[in-house]
Amino acid sequence: MAGSLAAQSLVSGLLVGMLYLLMALGFSLVFGVMKVVNFAHGEFYMLGGFGLYLCFAWLELPFAVSVALVFGAAVVVGAALEHAVLRPFRGDPLNGMVVTIGLALVLQNGALWIFGPNPLSLPSVVSGAWRLGPLVVAASRLYAAAFSLVVLAGFFCFLRYSAAGRALRAVVEDEEIARLQGIRAGLAYPWGFGLGTGLAAIAGALMAPLFSVSPFVGDTPLLKAFIVVILGGFGSLPGAVLGSLILGVTDSVAGIYLSASVADILQFVMVILVLIFRPTGLLGGSDI
Amino acid sequence: MSNGVGSRPAPGRARQVGRVLGVVALVVLAALPGLSSNSFYLHLAILICLNTIFACGLGLIARAGQLSLCHGAFVGVGAYAGAVLGLKLAAPFWFEVAAATLLCAALAALLGRAILGLRGVYFTLVTFAFGEAVRLLLLDWSWFSGGANGLAGIGPVRLGGFVFASRFSFYLVALLGAAGIVLLLRTLLRSPVGRAFGAVAENAALAEGVGISARRVRMLAFVLGSASAGAGGVLLAHYLGYISPEAFGFPLSVTLITMVVLGGRTSWAGPLLGALFLTPLPELLRRTEELQHILHGLILILIPRLLPQGLAGAVGAAAAIANKALAGGPAEKKPTAQQDACSACRGVEKTALAPPAKRSPAIE
Repeated sequence: MAGSLAAQSLVSGLLVGMLYLLMALGFSLVFGVMKVVNFAHGEFYMLGGFGLYLCFAWLELPFAVSVALVFGAAVVVGAALEHAVLRPFRGDPLNGMVVTIGLALVLQNGALWIFGPNPLSLPSVVSGAWRLGPLVVAASRLYAAAFSLVVLAGFFCFLRYSAAGRALRAVVEDEEIARLQGIRAGLAYPWGFGLGTGLAAIAGALMAPLFSVSPFVGDTPLLKAFIVVILGGFGSLPGAVLGSLILGVTDSVAGIYLSASVADILQFVMVILVLIFRPTGLLGGSDI
Repeated sequence: MSNGVGSRPAPGRARQVGRVLGVVALVVLAALPGLSSNSFYLHLAILICLNTIFACGLGLIARAGQLSLCHGAFVGVGAYAGAVLGLKLAAPFWFEVAAATLLCAALAALLGRAILGLRGVYFTLVTFAFGEAVRLLLLDWSWFSGGANGLAGIGPVRLGGFVFASRFSFYLVALLGAAGIVLLLRTLLRSPVGRAFGAVAENAALAEGVGISARRVRMLAFVLGSASAGAGGVLLAHYLGYISPEAFGFPLSVTLITMVVLGGRTSWAGPLLGALFLTPLPELLRRTEELQHILHGLILILIPRLLPQGLAGAVGAAAAIANKALAGGPAEKKPTAQQDACSACRGVEKTALAPPAKRSPAIE
């Protein structure tokens, strides 16, 4: 039975890792474009959860439509916030970071004011469970994992094949040279930020039916996104995938056999070891 | 100030204004308990003193161009080290302070060794993760820290046979600590070492070019700032008599950052001013904690744009605008406060960037 418990926790770790990956990709996209550590990233995850609550539980829209609406709204709100709040601090990462901390405080406590501190629970999207030999996986978790796979594939294709995505990557690589090629780098700031917040909001929206939503749910995913990015290396997509899978699996395996806080401390030790022995991250090569 | 010669008075005036504001703030802090026999004012004055100690350390780190997100954790390490030494080993107060300071300095040095050679973003991310790790360790190691229940029954400060049991006697200790650290910050920032801090913050590559080791300067700032947080933490533990891990998490670090940003990162008076203005806020907005945090958030969003040098630089910026208006430039566009403060700031940085005539051995 011990073996199946381990396999069980491995599977659920993979699912959680997928959501960490969504967070980490948005986070490193924003950092890549703006060179600013976005402390409000976790709050967009939280807002994504509340957005889904409004669309799915309150307006009773279909799940896929709700997620799409949340994503669209987050992109627009993120771009608008970048334009209104962060624009004066382009090229000034220290003050930019201070401003994102302020933004996080305003968003979190604004949500606390509006929704109150009590967690809201959502109806589940699908019920039942899948059996695969000795493994039992809740269908709602599989659903969330499938959704995040689709989003990840879409994001990957966007960056790889669309003109806008390639322009974004060019700006991340070298803004000046991107400008020389005729790319409007000024647009990359609001839309890069918006896309990053959109990914965070999708992660929050997918997570919301599995767990409950409260103004504080964004804190942990933010920390996890930081750790994934350091473990995997800034700008490395395979690194981010590896980092989030490691993180998801240590979370759930250590959470079963040890305790949740031991798992967190273990992750911090991993971060320090990686920084000492391999500062570019496990698979890091180029800088995003 | 449109010509090159005119750019010199601005930093001089900003410095003068900073000095006046700093002295006024210290006097206000010293006089606060005398305003009323109400012990609430005394309590407030003590908290301001303690926050000043914490914020000065953070201000020092920020002066070298880095934002530590685990400053609250270092306050916690100091508080727990002091409390455990006092409760379990009955150590004298001076020993607690020395041990907490050294412990925090050693932790900061170890952490700094791992991350300060890397890009700045790693400093941010790792200090954030370190703060969380400290909080979780304090929660988890209940044999040491009492876990979530915290440590209670921490006695008053005892020094050389005298017991600082009354609130007023503790206030004198805290005031002495705050005044001492403010003076220390002032001395340090005005020394060649302090100029090196500013130079590294402004342009690390250029600073390296004139022979300043950016890594060493950042390390020095991080170790000194974190160590002073540890020393302040011991005082906090003795004042409150009870400590628990949740008090030293990310929110404390953010509150301290807000103080430094509001007061001003470049002036020695900044952290003091920030503590003076922001410490009473929770007491005024006691019933609506959300509102208080939203206000902190708005300060963090607006102050860097409107007053890049914080309150300590605000009066100087206003004086510069008035000066310019009186001089009456030929149909120039009126400069905004932001531009003016920026140019004043640049002036300060320029003087800081000039290769110091005698460099301190600490950064050689």
